Amino acid sequence: MIRRRPFSSLLLVLALSVAALAWHNRVHVQAFPGIVGAYSAKEYCSCRYVSHNPADYCAAYVEQYVPLAGFFDDAANKWVVARALGSTQTAQWLGPRQGCQLLPESAPLPAP
Amino acid sequence: MSFLHCAPRLALACGLALGCAAAQAENWPAADWTSRPAPPSAALSALENYAFPARDEASRAGVRTDALLVIHDGQLIYERYAAPTQSTTPHLTWSMAKSLLATTMGVAYGQGRFRLDAPVAEYYPPFAAHPQVKIGHLLNWASGLDWQEGYEYAPLRSSVVAMLYTRGRSDMAAFTAAHEAAAEPGARFHYSSGDSNVLSAALKGMLGEAAYADYPWTALFEPLGIESAVWERDASGTFVGSSYAYMTARDLARVGLLMQRDGRWGERQLLPKAWVEFNRTPFANYLAQAGKADDAVPGGHWWLNAAVAGARKPWVDAPGETFAALGHWGQGLYVLPRERLVIVRYADDRDGSFQHNQLLKLAQAAFVSEVQP
Repeated sequence: MIRRRPFSSLLLVLALSVAALAWHNRVHVQAFPGIVGAYSAKEYCSCRYVSHNPADYCAAYVEQYVPLAGFFDDAANKWVVARALGSTQTAQWLGPRQGCQLLPESAPLPAP
Repeated sequence: MSFLHCAPRLALACGLALGCAAAQAENWPAADWTSRPAPPSAALSALENYAFPARDEASRAGVRTDALLVIHDGQLIYERYAAPTQSTTPHLTWSMAKSLLATTMGVAYGQGRFRLDAPVAEYYPPFAAHPQVKIGHLLNWASGLDWQEGYEYAPLRSSVVAMLYTRGRSDMAAFTAAHEAAAEPGARFHYSSGDSNVLSAALKGMLGEAAYADYPWTALFEPLGIESAVWERDASGTFVGSSYAYMTARDLARVGLLMQRDGRWGERQLLPKAWVEFNRTPFANYLAQAGKADDAVPGGHWWLNAAVAGARKPWVDAPGETFAALGHWGQGLYVLPRERLVIVRYADDRDGSFQHNQLLKLAQAAFVSEVQP
């Protein structure tokens, strides 16, 4: 089998290894897509509504290698929605001493 | 504005020593700091050239100071900001929040709310899973829990990223408590933002939910005249003691002056002297890691420039008594007690080019001109 189909065999072994690695790290892998959206929403919210920095500065401040697929800053209600890697996350400003916090359930991104 | 201060015991000391007039006049900030700007000098220019080079917003490379503020003897002698940060900006402290938490806890310690050798579980029941871990272990970052610190470079398995942004964010202390032990408590230093958030949750248990919600303000910020502070919480209401405190550079310097003067603010001993001593005592089992000789030594949730276990002091050009609160991306609150200097640095350093030692060397050259007696 290996001699007849060397490349297919190699690919199969590789695919099995990746699957095993993903299973071994499954809790991390599941949570991973949320990181960029959550980081962007939370740190932008604090940059903007806790530190009172300008919007364009805060957008650059949270910029990562992974680009955002969607972003919404609701200045009137001080909440921020960010989407990346298929995960949408929302941070909300809560008060002058409390600052910003990620919400358990994200609000949807408004239609463009 | 400042006010003169002479405590009774100081007056007694004055009566016995020469140079009494100088000892009596002690500067403290009132609503704002008294300003006595240092005159321009070549040394000051060298410091500014190091701290404030032209910023490249595209590459974000190099030293990127947002704020630099220096207090000498209780007076503001230097401050400079890089836009958009200004004197009124409550800047993110990142991990300097850990030392702010410890200083908040110092007030609680003085009120007899806890013991360093008490099990964490006594104040935070979910830590019943780790019955041997004491409050003092957490303050030394020596819980022994299997924790992965590290931000950008290993995001998949980073405990701190999961705690702040994904699996741990609703209850960061509970997330930490769910980690397994990897070493005996107190056996080794292992830097962990989780340890700090468990301390924050334990403080809640010591005080009760109602008093806890305002405690950093009633215990620490208000007595010091700090008005700009923001401290974010997780969804369970626990202050994110590891990372999310904000205040202006001028306000953070007040915490520095409190620490420089051994926990005393005006005539009030806000923190027990023994607490500050604990903050400034190196963790007994600390061993400098190979290739990391420049890393500051952990004390009681503050960082020390101490020479321990045969290693040299981490910041070779700074005094051995120097201690600091330090945070991600270059945040620093440095206290040089003998030089009576407090230095606040807020920054957005995205690479490793900034060196604490270089900043402290240049700051001493700029501001410590006279020969110390």
